[in-house]
Amino acid sequence: MRRILTVTLMTVLAAPGMAWAAEATGGGDMAKAFAVLAAGLGFGLAAGLCGLGQGRAAGSAVDAMARQPGAIARIQTAMLLGLAFIESLVLFVFVIAVILLFVKS
Amino acid sequence: MDLIEHPPIFRIPSIPDQVVYMWIVMGILLIVGVVATRRLQLVPRGSQNFMEVLLEQFVKELDETIGHDGRRYVPLIATLGLFILTSNLMGLVPGLIAPTANLNTTAACALIVFFTYHWIGVRKQGFVPYLKHFAGPVPLALKPLMFVIEIISHCARPLSLSLRLFGNMMAGHILLAIFFFMMGVNGMLGWALTGSLGGILVGAPATVILVAFVVGFLFPLKLLVAVIQTFIFCKLAMLYIAEAVAETDHH
Repeated sequence: MRRILTVTLMTVLAAPGMAWAAEATGGGDMAKAFAVLAAGLGFGLAAGLCGLGQGRAAGSAVDAMARQPGAIARIQTAMLLGLAFIESLVLFVFVIAVILLFVKS
Repeated sequence: MDLIEHPPIFRIPSIPDQVVYMWIVMGILLIVGVVATRRLQLVPRGSQNFMEVLLEQFVKELDETIGHDGRRYVPLIATLGLFILTSNLMGLVPGLIAPTANLNTTAACALIVFFTYHWIGVRKQGFVPYLKHFAGPVPLALKPLMFVIEIISHCARPLSLSLRLFGNMMAGHILLAIFFFMMGVNGMLGWALTGSLGGILVGAPATVILVAFVVGFLFPLKLLVAVIQTFIFCKLAMLYIAEAVAETDHH
């Protein structure tokens, strides 16, 4: 909890400084830099949290399959659909990240 | 950025690449269809057997999802599925591109599904009853809210359908492009070929490892993704149609 607070505080404190730096350097390169930073950070966050979610989903599915080997086909279908839904959120972020990378200055 | 936009082998000027490669996919499917149905036999062999096995998967899934009425939608679902599967697999061949790695193609497929399942729903139950089902089984006071939410969720369906397929294919492309770049003449192989000590000690093994990784892991993974994404696209289309059709039963 304290760490989260610290990080938040640092971000809040650093933001005006960054904005000021952006004005100082003319803004052009800074927008590109922030776009790349946002793409990387956002995609990292999305991929990591998707890993958590998909891990839970796949784990529960394997649990269910071990308990009921007869229903493996149905569980597999449901699991694939669920994984696709979880994954699609990451892919939205991926598309946004690619768009961000194409930001011109 | 030039890294990502690797050009395909051949292109026709002033026509977008994905359209050209979509025509190639259409040609492949047409030829396969003609070859498979040229001499129909009761006991299928060769290409006829292959296509029948493939189509039986679609029929089985449709039976499972929609029920006895599901076989009416085999042409739609199987066409979408074969097209997407062929396009996805074409992206695995170096030098060709997958038409589905472009948002325009996948958005076209998703919009076809979107309009079709609404059309099926409207035709099955009439316009006003179909609209009423958007409100759902909630108290009257909540119905306007539910209606708006349902409309938004229905509009998000083609978006997520198209973006899911596009994102998966595009991500695979970029991943492969980056790995080819890393092991290519500008990357590890180039370093090894310079003949410096570091190049020989690090660059050469790294090239071998990268090639082994790409061939042994990334290509099978992309193969799996290509098939699974086709399955998911078709399954979701079936589920949407099933939802539009099945709502007649309880009212």
